[in-house]
Amino acid sequence: MSFLTVKNVSIKGVVSCVPPFVEENISLPFYKDGEAEEVIRSTGIERRHVVKNGITASDLCFKAGSELIKQLGWEKESIDGICYVTQSPDYINHPTGFVLHEKMELSDDCMVLDLFHGCPGWVVGMSAIASVMSSGALKRVLLFVGDSTTPWGYANDRESRPLFGDCGTATALEFNEMAAPIHFHIGTKSSDGWALVRKEGALRNPYTRESFEKEIRLREGTLELEGNADTMDGMSVFSFGITVPPKSMKKLCEYANVNIMSVDKVVIHQANLFMVEKIVKKLKIDPNKAPISLKEYGNVTNASIPLTICSQCHNEYSSGKVSTLVCGFGTGLSWGSAYFETDKIICPDVIIYDEK
Amino acid sequence: MDLQEFINNFAEQFDDIDASTLAANTNFKDLEEWNSLVALSVIAMIDEEYDVTVKGDDIRKSTTIEELFNTVKERM
Repeated sequence: MSFLTVKNVSIKGVVSCVPPFVEENISLPFYKDGEAEEVIRSTGIERRHVVKNGITASDLCFKAGSELIKQLGWEKESIDGICYVTQSPDYINHPTGFVLHEKMELSDDCMVLDLFHGCPGWVVGMSAIASVMSSGALKRVLLFVGDSTTPWGYANDRESRPLFGDCGTATALEFNEMAAPIHFHIGTKSSDGWALVRKEGALRNPYTRESFEKEIRLREGTLELEGNADTMDGMSVFSFGITVPPKSMKKLCEYANVNIMSVDKVVIHQANLFMVEKIVKKLKIDPNKAPISLKEYGNVTNASIPLTICSQCHNEYSSGKVSTLVCGFGTGLSWGSAYFETDKIICPDVIIYDEK
Repeated sequence: MDLQEFINNFAEQFDDIDASTLAANTNFKDLEEWNSLVALSVIAMIDEEYDVTVKGDDIRKSTTIEELFNTVKERM
């Protein structure tokens, strides 16, 4: 497939929700003098919102979705499909989309589709559910995309812990025959994907008593990571990130007959500042067009594109027409670029989760 | 592709290293200034200057600057 054009679907709004708990990179326990400052400078990440007390990405998505339909004025009965994209489900054997469907009190006449995806998930999820909508089979859809991966992290993982935060988002899509087409470019390099894989704990490598004990101790920080035990191969992911996404975005612009210089916003997956800056440089675009949300939120995997739109550009998106080029990349390894146009959508600033 | 030019480009990825202190046979990972961020800068430099993609394994398998140079040269 590679390229895909979806007609008759318009993006009506996007809301992002983060947990209230904040972890400061400057206070992480494992840095020596000056190291934390250096990490903050190169990653661009000062702090991250992280889940605690059993809150999951679906809770954050629920808040985002509730706020979104309230501001849109959508009746719950009018929603005939939801898609939930995550790699951190609530339960082992139950797709979390059903949890959201129940909590949102949606009707029985509503399709629920769960997709297991990481960083490119917002783009890939939109391409999938928008394709189903394009025929008119579904009129109003909520695309939920979120991850709460930090509880799986290791307390002493110097490479990953300063990077990742948690976030849940909801995006409203509506069938509309007048809508400008949405263009996608999606690709996969699965043989390189092992750089990001957590290998133990599921069915391929079930926990043993020993490995389960080790896992718990790594999470709580009572066991040091051994030499090369970092959970991702940062160098390989980085070399992928600075080469493939810019090529994908350029190819998509060619395909969609769009001049990249005239696009209003270029929203790049917020992996880290070093990577985003390299990609911006390769695209030769004005850096002011490429918003960055890393400072306050870090890398929130699949939610990073909508979170960046809400946190950095809510005024532009909620007040007028915006043309947008996005690229999510990572998990897989895979990538998804999209080009779309919006007109005065619901796009409030980021909301903070509260229990109420 | 010139080895000395590669060494100069390599040296530029460090905050504070004079290219003249590096040689083809320098074990670059033993340098005190070597760290993961320099590694990423080297990967980006190779991508920009030579249009070659090197991965984590290529860095890990190379001991000297010349070995990395040869990896890049083979892929050009």
